[in-house]
Amino acid sequence: MNILPKNVSTYGQEIDSLFWLITTFALIAFVISLFVLIYPLFKYRQRAGVKAEYFTGEKKTHFKWVAIALIALALSDFIIMYAEHDAWVTIEGLPAQQDFHVGVTGRQWNWIFTYPGPDGKLGTADDVVVDEQNSELHVPVNKNIIFDLRARDVVHSFFIVNTRLKQDALPGRVVTRWFNITVEGKYDISCSQICGVLHAKMRNYVVAESQEKFDAYIKALYDNNKPKI
Amino acid sequence: MENTHKISFVNKYLFSTDHKTIGAQYTIMGVLMAAVGGFLAYIFRYNLAFPGQNIPLFGALGPQQYNSFVTIHGMIMVFWVGMPVLLAGFGNFLIPMMIGTDDMAFPTLNMMSFWIFFLSAVILLASFFVPGGAFGGGWTMYPPLSANGYMVRDPNFLSALLSGSSLLILAVALEFVAMLMGGINFLVTTFNKRTKGMTAFRVPLVVWYINIAAVIFMFSVGPLVAGAFMLLFDVVLGTGFYDPARGGDPILFQHLFWFFGHPEVYVLLLPSLGVLAEVIPVFSRKPLFAYKKLVYLALLSAVLSVVVWAHHQFIAGIDPRMATFFSIGTIIISIPFAGIFLSFMATLWGGSIRFKLPMLWALGFIALFLIGGLTGLFLGSNAFDIYAHDTYFVVTHFHYTLFPDIFFGFFAAFYFWFPKFSGRTLNNTLGHLHFWLTFVFFNCTWFVLFFNGLAGQHRRIHDYSAFSNFSGGIYQTFEKFSTIGAICLILTQFIFLINVIMSMSKKKNAVKNPWEATTLEWVADSPPPHGNFPVMPEVFRGPYDYSVPGEAKDFLPQNQQ
Repeated sequence: MNILPKNVSTYGQEIDSLFWLITTFALIAFVISLFVLIYPLFKYRQRAGVKAEYFTGEKKTHFKWVAIALIALALSDFIIMYAEHDAWVTIEGLPAQQDFHVGVTGRQWNWIFTYPGPDGKLGTADDVVVDEQNSELHVPVNKNIIFDLRARDVVHSFFIVNTRLKQDALPGRVVTRWFNITVEGKYDISCSQICGVLHAKMRNYVVAESQEKFDAYIKALYDNNKPKI
Repeated sequence: MENTHKISFVNKYLFSTDHKTIGAQYTIMGVLMAAVGGFLAYIFRYNLAFPGQNIPLFGALGPQQYNSFVTIHGMIMVFWVGMPVLLAGFGNFLIPMMIGTDDMAFPTLNMMSFWIFFLSAVILLASFFVPGGAFGGGWTMYPPLSANGYMVRDPNFLSALLSGSSLLILAVALEFVAMLMGGINFLVTTFNKRTKGMTAFRVPLVVWYINIAAVIFMFSVGPLVAGAFMLLFDVVLGTGFYDPARGGDPILFQHLFWFFGHPEVYVLLLPSLGVLAEVIPVFSRKPLFAYKKLVYLALLSAVLSVVVWAHHQFIAGIDPRMATFFSIGTIIISIPFAGIFLSFMATLWGGSIRFKLPMLWALGFIALFLIGGLTGLFLGSNAFDIYAHDTYFVVTHFHYTLFPDIFFGFFAAFYFWFPKFSGRTLNNTLGHLHFWLTFVFFNCTWFVLFFNGLAGQHRRIHDYSAFSNFSGGIYQTFEKFSTIGAICLILTQFIFLINVIMSMSKKKNAVKNPWEATTLEWVADSPPPHGNFPVMPEVFRGPYDYSVPGEAKDFLPQNQQ
């Protein structure tokens, strides 16, 4: 059993390293604190004829131990902050190289995917919309995929476990985020913000595939989308 | 102050203005609500472990019911268990006794506070029985789901008012009114009714902490009361405060909610920490470590508590640059609380420690909260929160903080002060059994779920069959393990119930000061009569004079010269 699931995105590794860094700090703090808690329970348990020591902890000589521990905590906090900042900027910002642009819209209870039409632009009349339960979002592998996230009815949250990416989708707003999947395959997209009765059934897939397969998929979409006479 | 005239049953137990009776009413109501909340937890945990099966004592559980039950479970445990037991219960029992006065400053307001609270609980429970059932959109009540989740607003005013979401909003708003009345009473009483000699730094820390909690509550609750009423208007009157189609914004509610919602956890935490500050010195026979600094640390945390709220919204669509500010705020607020816990641990060093029941609960509290606090490091880091948000990691983290806070804090206080306020003693063996089984089964219930969360299992899912990773294999095994732990944890609480019933059926045999403690409540009779003290005691020293060198006894009561 791996603690964290398989990572398939370019930036997922940064989240995973951050996890192990914080785990290291947390475990060290846990062991030290547990010692500080448990050791006196043995050392200073009630014994006949032994009176407790009297100190109030208001003096500097005593309180300095707490102060040192707090400074150590603050330092490790800021090391974590420093380490995570790059990951935050990478994931929440947009990359310079933008390979493919799609629209993702949450609704009760599936994700809607919008691909640019033959004109290559999103938000024009020839856009192709896939709006079905359990449908797949096809993207080329190893490409920076930019997506505009919207919600049609209530708040949803777009979550691909294997890329470590999660982002709420809000009615009335467009949030633009990105991902780049480096391993071909089919991965779950879930909704991680409660959105009504069938929240549990809101599941779509992202399919990362080679450029050839992706082009074929898009072509088929266009062909199916041609106005029927 | 002996009360000689006969008081009718109604005036003595129902519409009493005595702070101890009101404290008991709040505590009993909180325990009853905890039973409801626990039963809801049993139902949805059973469903998670054995999806689709008939649940013993309940039956089949549909997705809407599942959503309602997780929502109302959260609501109940925070607002109808944590608040009445920790803030109102402790505040009512302890403040007048510890500062040496006969009652609250406004006894009638105090009584009203309880009955408004009672009404709010009735409205909350009634919401299970309206058409459509109780609200099922998560305890955070995010609109538009809470305002018009199906995109059609009910045009009929009355049926919109009698919907699960509007009843929930109404119940929450009334509960806040009740707690505000209590909070005003606590502050006015503490500031004005202290007995002779009870200077600010002779007030026991628990009284300080309850008052600081009341102040945090009052400062933060206003925006949410406004926010809740705007939401209610959206539901029943058709306004559009949170509806983007009419110029509103759903994120506004999230800000109003969390501006209160995060300080609220400190409102719940501080009274329990105060209890620890009373229990640990008594059973270590040592002064509380750094008493004055602990007051300042809590005041600091109160100030900081209003600049952390958006850490609940890192991925909610707020400006990513804003997150760094709240991440830093979150990290900084961990420092005063770490200072408080370290000072409690420092109190143990050099002591003469007795492992009596209240002490066991206090130590268990610290051990569990350590895990809860350290897992907060992961979530306070905004980048890791992108992944962990809304997964079981969050759920497990806050159960490791709130469960010790609400239940270990309550039981520490209960085993400590029960002899004082009932005049009776509890069975020690049953008490030990209760503590150890609760401690073990709580960890069985929750620890494994950290791994589910790290695997990315998202929360509030009625049925994981759409997600093959979680509907079978090791993570489903963990769910089963957790559920069995939860059932055992709930059954363990019957030991407590039996212990209390056994004790109540026995004669009053508690002595005045069974733990040899220093604070004023131990000067009064057990149980204290109406009016508490025959003559108001005068205070000559601080609350933690244990093992003072050169004294014959190892404790000096505050009223001893």
